Amino acid sequence: MNTAKWLVRREFWENRAIWLIPTVFGGLLVLASLFGGYQVLGVADLATVRTVVQAGALDGMMLIATAFFSVMSIYSTWYLLDCLYADRRDRSILFWKSMPISDTATVLCKLGVALIVVPAVYFVLADLTTLMMAFVISVRASAYVGSTLWRGELWLQIQALWLYTIVTAAVWYLPVAGWLLLVSAWAKRAVILWSILPLLALAVAERVFLGTHVIWRLQDARLWGYLAHAFQYPPGSANWVTTVIGHDAITTPVDLWRFFNPAGFFASPQTWIGAAVGAALIFGAIQLRMRRAEI
Amino acid sequence: MPALIDARELTKKYGAHVALDRANFTVESGRIVGLIGPNGAGKTTALRAILGLTSYEGQLQVLGREPLRERAALMHDACFIADVAVLPSWLRVDHAIDFVAGVHPRFRRDRAMALLAKTQIGGKRRMRELSKGMKTQVHLALTMAIDAKLLVLDEPTLGLDILARSAFYDALVNDYMDETRTILITTHQVEEVENLLTDVLFIDRGRIVVDSSLDDIANRYAAVAVATQHLEAARAEKPFFERRMLGKVVLYFEQPNLEKLAEFGETHTPSVADLFVAKLSGGAA
Repeated sequence: MNTAKWLVRREFWENRAIWLIPTVFGGLLVLASLFGGYQVLGVADLATVRTVVQAGALDGMMLIATAFFSVMSIYSTWYLLDCLYADRRDRSILFWKSMPISDTATVLCKLGVALIVVPAVYFVLADLTTLMMAFVISVRASAYVGSTLWRGELWLQIQALWLYTIVTAAVWYLPVAGWLLLVSAWAKRAVILWSILPLLALAVAERVFLGTHVIWRLQDARLWGYLAHAFQYPPGSANWVTTVIGHDAITTPVDLWRFFNPAGFFASPQTWIGAAVGAALIFGAIQLRMRRAEI
Repeated sequence: MPALIDARELTKKYGAHVALDRANFTVESGRIVGLIGPNGAGKTTALRAILGLTSYEGQLQVLGREPLRERAALMHDACFIADVAVLPSWLRVDHAIDFVAGVHPRFRRDRAMALLAKTQIGGKRRMRELSKGMKTQVHLALTMAIDAKLLVLDEPTLGLDILARSAFYDALVNDYMDETRTILITTHQVEEVENLLTDVLFIDRGRIVVDSSLDDIANRYAAVAVATQHLEAARAEKPFFERRMLGKVVLYFEQPNLEKLAEFGETHTPSVADLFVAKLSGGAA
């Protein structure tokens, strides 16, 4: 356990971008809320504006969470590709391997950093950003916003969204992470290319020789199927609120609770088949890590 | 007591290239062994196998363990510097110490600090700001502060100036070495380590060609500087190497008959460096 703590600290020393990127990103959002112009909607009717803000508050917070999560996904992808490659390239692997730390511990720690620690850092910084923005907006536009943004239940939903997404995305994207680790442990150069080309080549070969699209569909379903598996979108006026302003209508969710689909996600065979494939790929990455020292 | 390192038929192939060719050797506890060979002879491959950094064929036991499968456990009792200047550029000196102290149960922080204090390298500096020699000193301080049974050093003083080199070897022998430790060291600067080694392993094209303690060298090898008129008679004794110097020819013999050789000139025990040249310069004369 102590070793794991030091392995994670070491990742923070090496990859200051883990917290620098979300800090800068959050800082820019806060600056935008501080100095950005805002426009009161076409109708000057205060009651309507308040209704819109009320309905849109959750939407706005989700938008910030989504933006942070997107940046995090890109960063984690890059991190996974680099983490078993960088120390082979600069030969510092010869130092790390002189420590009494197994390759299994090393690889699993890096996996944990990418899937749990980095998302958690983004979660905390997204929360801080949202808090500061809510404060700034509440002060600057107090006439319109009032205390709309300070509802505990609203914040609780966002916390739940983050935690639920971190856990489910970590499971769903395990095969992707495993593949990236495998490439990172194996490639002698051009990790980005190696992470994409073999998969593309497989899909193209299947198309050319068999005329089918199974591999392509599998890859596509894994990359973009997450939302459809982890969340549900129940229809009907009980779940969505439509606010009419003049000629426009904004439809927003009533709350987030009804959109989480943990039962469906964890009961889906796709979730567990993917996790099993991920575990196999991670095992492969550990075996490669054992046998490959420097490039 | 079993040998600290026991290699049987140790073989490593890279495609068609055979880096280690059924090498057999043992290293006993309490020795300072020099693994000596020309570039590309298989020194580094042998060290990598011993340290669990590469796969191999044949049998290999280090401290009773199988290095590749049990590297983490092996590293509790063995430490190494496999190459110079491999500390990552982003690492800070104080973080490096914290890290090793955090993960290595046999690391003694006070000893590392004492070693570093002699170098005037500040704790807040990153490796990328240090010269190659300074990086080596940091790495040596980290490694020598580990209470290990086996220390493996691959060209440890490369990039150090002559003062730092001699200081390093002094520290190695006087402060670090004791009867509980074993050191395996590779270098191509044979002269530099000659006086501290207790054993030598010569490796050439993947094979061990000499495996001897330094004391044994005197019994097993002899060199004679022969004047030209005795040359033919001396050659009849089957030297394995001859070398011309200053109007004489130095002949090198294995399992020498010293009385017989004395007839041709004064015999002496070759230095490790001379023996190395003699053994690896392409076989018998």
